[in-house]
Amino acid sequence: VAFVNACELPEELYYDVERDVWARPDPDGCLTLGMTDPAQTRAGRIVHVRVRAVGKHLPRGRSAATVESSKWVGPFPMPVSGEIVAANPLLEKDPGLINRDTYGSGWIVRVRPSDPAELADLLTGQAAVQRYGAKIREANVLCVRCADPGAAGGERS
Amino acid sequence: VKVRIVDLGRVPALRSQAAFHGVAHAMGRDTPDTIVLVSPESPYVCVGFHQEVDKEVDVEFCRQQGIPVYRREVGGGAVYLDSGQLFWHVIFHQSRVPPLVEDVYRVFLAGPVEAYRAMGIPAYHRPVNDIQVEGRKIGGTGAATIGEAMVVVGSLIFDFDYQLMARVLKVPSEKYRDKVYRSLTEYLTTIRRELGERAPTQEEGKRILIEKFAETLGAVVEFGELTERERQAIAEVERRFATEEWIFQGGGLPKRGVKIAEGIRVAESAHKAPGGLIRATVRVKDGAVDDLTLSGDFFFYPPAALRDLEAVLAGAPLDEGALAERIRAFYADRAIQAPGVLPEDIARAVLLAQDGPAS
Repeated sequence: VAFVNACELPEELYYDVERDVWARPDPDGCLTLGMTDPAQTRAGRIVHVRVRAVGKHLPRGRSAATVESSKWVGPFPMPVSGEIVAANPLLEKDPGLINRDTYGSGWIVRVRPSDPAELADLLTGQAAVQRYGAKIREANVLCVRCADPGAAGGERS
Repeated sequence: VKVRIVDLGRVPALRSQAAFHGVAHAMGRDTPDTIVLVSPESPYVCVGFHQEVDKEVDVEFCRQQGIPVYRREVGGGAVYLDSGQLFWHVIFHQSRVPPLVEDVYRVFLAGPVEAYRAMGIPAYHRPVNDIQVEGRKIGGTGAATIGEAMVVVGSLIFDFDYQLMARVLKVPSEKYRDKVYRSLTEYLTTIRRELGERAPTQEEGKRILIEKFAETLGAVVEFGELTERERQAIAEVERRFATEEWIFQGGGLPKRGVKIAEGIRVAESAHKAPGGLIRATVRVKDGAVDDLTLSGDFFFYPPAALRDLEAVLAGAPLDEGALAERIRAFYADRAIQAPGVLPEDIARAVLLAQDGPAS
């Protein structure tokens, strides 16, 4: 796993660097998507996520979900065009998973891509780390993760 | 840097809310960064993007009073808006704002803060997004990414109808409403309250605000008009915002009491103890009990001691052990008889108000 300014960038994942989205290809051809470490840092403690309806087809760039933190609301954009096939059920009860485990249990949606050509625009491995790293350094983002609420010093509000 | 100022003056309530949304949705890289200034002709209530209207707002009361309720594409809680406030909406292309939201607030709240100071109010930015004066809020703000735009919204509060704000909210009890009202009067202030007769008119305040935005952003401001594309986008937002489907769409954001100012929140809970139901209406300030009312159907002797217990708990940190300890000492000291209501039960009720849904 690569780190840039404390931002975690797992090399095996695919990234839409501009939109701050990660994607993991699943064996069935679908993509699991989530917010990257810089994106969750920028948003801050997330208090709510609303995903658009399963079955909805969305073009690249369109919002697949809206994310609300204690200081900001914004879209979660599609890195490729496709159909929403699932929303992470865990986020309803615990949206903070995005802050604590953004590349794991904090995934947001699964989509079935409709235009395979678009997948080539996502970066992975060293190419992703280089491009994303440059963006992180330029923006001077320092990533932070929320502590588990069960752990000492966990944030409460 | 150039910033376009669009001064819409007084417009119908819906337009006052739709205008900045439309400008944001229409924004592209070539659109000038813009600040919209507007005040609604008549009062309305506005809920946060993910709130559930029925849980937050007394819809029936608003209907009777002819106060419309709208939903914004910005987060946060339900607010009451009227012509006593001058709203400023900063709409910048997201490529031209700092990457961190904290910094976005720092950059854009400087203008309103300096405007208050120029009026003679020692205001300051309390992170993340409050503007305060001597611990009281004089302007809440919010931020959202809408389309390609980063939007920061807030207001200069000339006057505020505290009573109506407390009245339009949906609350679990009148005790709770009273605490919200008193908390608002205590922790939310206005230009009029701070300056009395020396308060500037809204027009004067607006002039100062524009000047301070220009100064703090290091920008040249140009007064401009809405483009045809923006007018169309605003009309489209107005159509959407007026539909029941948009206004009453499912929320999902858990209700966690009423936030009065940064660090100050009023909430209520009920805890079923073996001896009966304990209701705690709590104002929490910076993680401690600021003001507490206990009620319920449990037996507590001597009855007058319940008020004393509330007073004893003021200032107590919201920590189950610390609360229970204070209550235990009080029970022993005053020889309290409360069968089935242990100190831990009362501590639990107070803590639930902090954590849980308020109604």
